[in-house]
Parts: sequence; structure tokens; C-alpha cells
Amino acid sequence: MYRDKKVAILGIVITIILLILVVIFSNGESNTSFFENVANKLVMPVQNGLTYLKNKLNGNDTFFTDINRLKEENENLKKQNSELEQSLRELENIKTENETLKEYLGLTEKYGEYKTIPAYIINKDISNYSKTIVINVGSKDGVQENMTVIADQGLVGHVISVTDSTAKVQTIIDTSSSVSCMMSTNKDSIVCKGTLENNSQLKGMYIPTDADVIQGDSIETSGLGGIYPKGIHVGTVKSVSNTSNMIDRYAVIETAVDFNKLNTVLVINNATS
Amino acid sequence: MKKVLINIIFIFIFFIAYFLQCNFFNWFTIAGVMPNLFVILIIWIGLFGNKFMGVTYGIIIGFFLDYLFRSKVGITAITLGIVGLVAKIFDKNFSKDSRITIMLIVASLTAFYEIALYFANYIVFSTQIEIVNFAKILVIEVIYNIILTVILYPLMQKFGYYVENEYKGNKILTRYF
Repeated sequence: MYRDKKVAILGIVITIILLILVVIFSNGESNTSFFENVANKLVMPVQNGLTYLKNKLNGNDTFFTDINRLKEENENLKKQNSELEQSLRELENIKTENETLKEYLGLTEKYGEYKTIPAYIINKDISNYSKTIVINVGSKDGVQENMTVIADQGLVGHVISVTDSTAKVQTIIDTSSSVSCMMSTNKDSIVCKGTLENNSQLKGMYIPTDADVIQGDSIETSGLGGIYPKGIHVGTVKSVSNTSNMIDRYAVIETAVDFNKLNTVLVINNATS
Repeated sequence: MKKVLINIIFIFIFFIAYFLQCNFFNWFTIAGVMPNLFVILIIWIGLFGNKFMGVTYGIIIGFFLDYLFRSKVGITAITLGIVGLVAKIFDKNFSKDSRITIMLIVASLTAFYEIALYFANYIVFSTQIEIVNFAKILVIEVIYNIILTVILYPLMQKFGYYVENEYKGNKILTRYF
């Protein structure tokens, strides 16, 4: 009985000490980055090696696929190629038209100012409930906190902390992430939040009551909030969940980026914009 | 000397668990859900180590994980520390020889750890509460952790008794009689 009490008191004392430590560490940035650096230096060399090995193995997997399937695939690809050539010609016309419109809006000029830092994902979150990633560029490469991270298809997230050679990125599918967005057709603002349900879906909330949400509509960042620049593609509206109360309705948004297959990203360097 | 060696082995096992969790279990999932090797590790250390080992390892490993993955440091450290502490309390009240008991301990502490972390994140980051989705993931994670414990427990028990003998010596029997 007495020993149990002792353990209980010990637990309370440790919790109090920890709370004090948490307050000190979360406020002192220099201490935090020192410990982060130590933690990273301990695991990253091996982690880098394992990531390299994994990538290699993934590449070599193709050797083991059966030849018949490859032949069939080849035929299909040939067909697809001719179809694509046809649509390419059509797209060339649209591209010219699009470029003229972009120039008209001044967007080309704006994006020309962004400089990006390419990076590899070297670590993914170990928890089922949060979706942060670690990339192989850090303060040495010019990465700073709150910089926007994108991939070829669209928005990935933003940098939440940086060490000398790595950076932690909170992805848009993380449950604690909120991105201010707008629907491309009617320019209405919504807030996109990550969900636990799916790795490739966001919940578009706070839809204005008078707004028409169109299925398949493109969602872009609105530029509000001070982290993400305006006009970065986030995803498309998959469905709208209507409730009896118009304020509670939300849109399910399919992310443009496939987070399960994401390996390389680009960090937008704010400093040069 | 033997105690130093035991601690070195524990640190080595932690790194193995870390790399397994980051690489192997990121791919080897049940319906996209990973197990939590760190909870199993801390329960193991808490059950077989001395009075302070579970809490100490919980806090150190928690801080390490916080620095690597979280934007706010301390939440995982406190939660894993409590897991270590509760494991020690369980050790004093239940037998480690019963597999059912061990399974229940792992299930309850995994659930406690994840629920505590989830609510701490809700308070700190104002995340959206998704009870149904959270419960779904939690149930799978608890089952996964139990499965792994059932598989690994004979090995854990063997090394655990060695650790217990080293730390507690003759005092072990007094607990049962």
C-alpha cells in the first residue's frame, strides 16, 4: 500500500517536472533546435540508407513482372500514345490560349518570382493519427519555417520546423492542418481540413450559405493566412454533404497529390519572392 | 557492469523498433494502420525493469520522438512516461506469466496512450474530433499490438526475467507470497 502511494507521488512529481521542461523547451527555440539536431543526427544516416535501399528495391521490382502482362501493357500504351498525340495537338491550342489569359491576369509574372528547393522525403510519421513528413533539406539549404511545400500535382503542406539538414513538414491531410482555399469557378472561400478517414481526402468546411458547390470544381489556395501563396492547386470537389443546416454542410475534396506515393517535393523559397 | 549492458541492449532495441516502425511497419499495415512498437517496448521495460526504468525510458523515448516528428515537444514524452509508470503498477498487481493478462495490459495501455495523445493534440492544435474514425483506427492498432505481443512475448519474457533477476534479485518472490 505504502509503496503504491510512493509510485503515485513519484508520478505526480515527474509530471510536474515534465510540464516545466515542456514550457522551457517549447519556448526556447535554440534549445529545441539543438536537441532536434542531435535526434536527427542519431537516426538520419541509417534512415537515409534505408530509404535509398527501399527506392532501389522498388525500382528493381519491375524485373519480376511477367512478360505477357508487359506485352499487353505495351499494346495498350501504343493505343494510348496515338490518342494522346491527338489530344496533344488540341492541348497545344488550349495552351496558347491559356498563356495569353495568364499573361492577362499577371499570373505568369508572379510565379516566375518563386524559387524552389527540391527535396526527398526521408521519413514519414510513425503515428496513425498525424501526417507529418521529414524532408532532406534544412536551414543549410535555405529552408525556413512556414515555407510552402508543393509537388508536381499541387500543394503538399508547410514547413513546421527546421534543423541543419532536415525539415519537418505538416501535410495538408494532417488533422491539425487548415488551409484557406477558394473554389475556382465562383471564387467562394472555404477552409480545407485534414481527416483521419482517408489519406487523399480533405474536408472543405465553412462554405458560404449562398455558394454553389460544383462537383469536380478545382480548389486552390486563397492566399489568406500568410503561409500559402495564392493560386496553388489543392484538389477537386468529390462530393458535397448537405445537412439540414446549411452552415454545417461540407465538401469532400480529393487531393491533387497522392500522399501514399509521394517521394519528391519542392519547397517554395519565400525569401526570393 | 551487467546493468550497463542491459541498458545498452534496451537502447539498441529502441533503435531497431524505431527503424522497423519507420520503414517496415509503414508498409506492413493492417488496413493502413500501423502498430505502435514504442508502447510495447515501454510496457516491457516497465514490467520487467526496476521502479524507475519504465518511466525514465518512456520520457526519454517520448522526447526523442517529439523532437523528430512533432512541432510541440513534451506530449509524447509525458504520455509514454505515464505508460511506463502504469506498467510498473500493473507489474505489482498482476502476474506476468499469464498471456491473457499481458494482452489486456497491452490493449489497455495502447488505448490509453493513443486517446491521451489524441486529446492532447485536440487541446494544443485544436484538431477536429472524429470519434468514429479514431475508434476504428484505435481498435485495429490495439489488435495489431496484441498480435505482436503474443508473437514476441516468449522472447521478451526470457530477457525480461534476466533483467528482473539482475535488478531485483531475491526480492522477486516476496511479490507472490
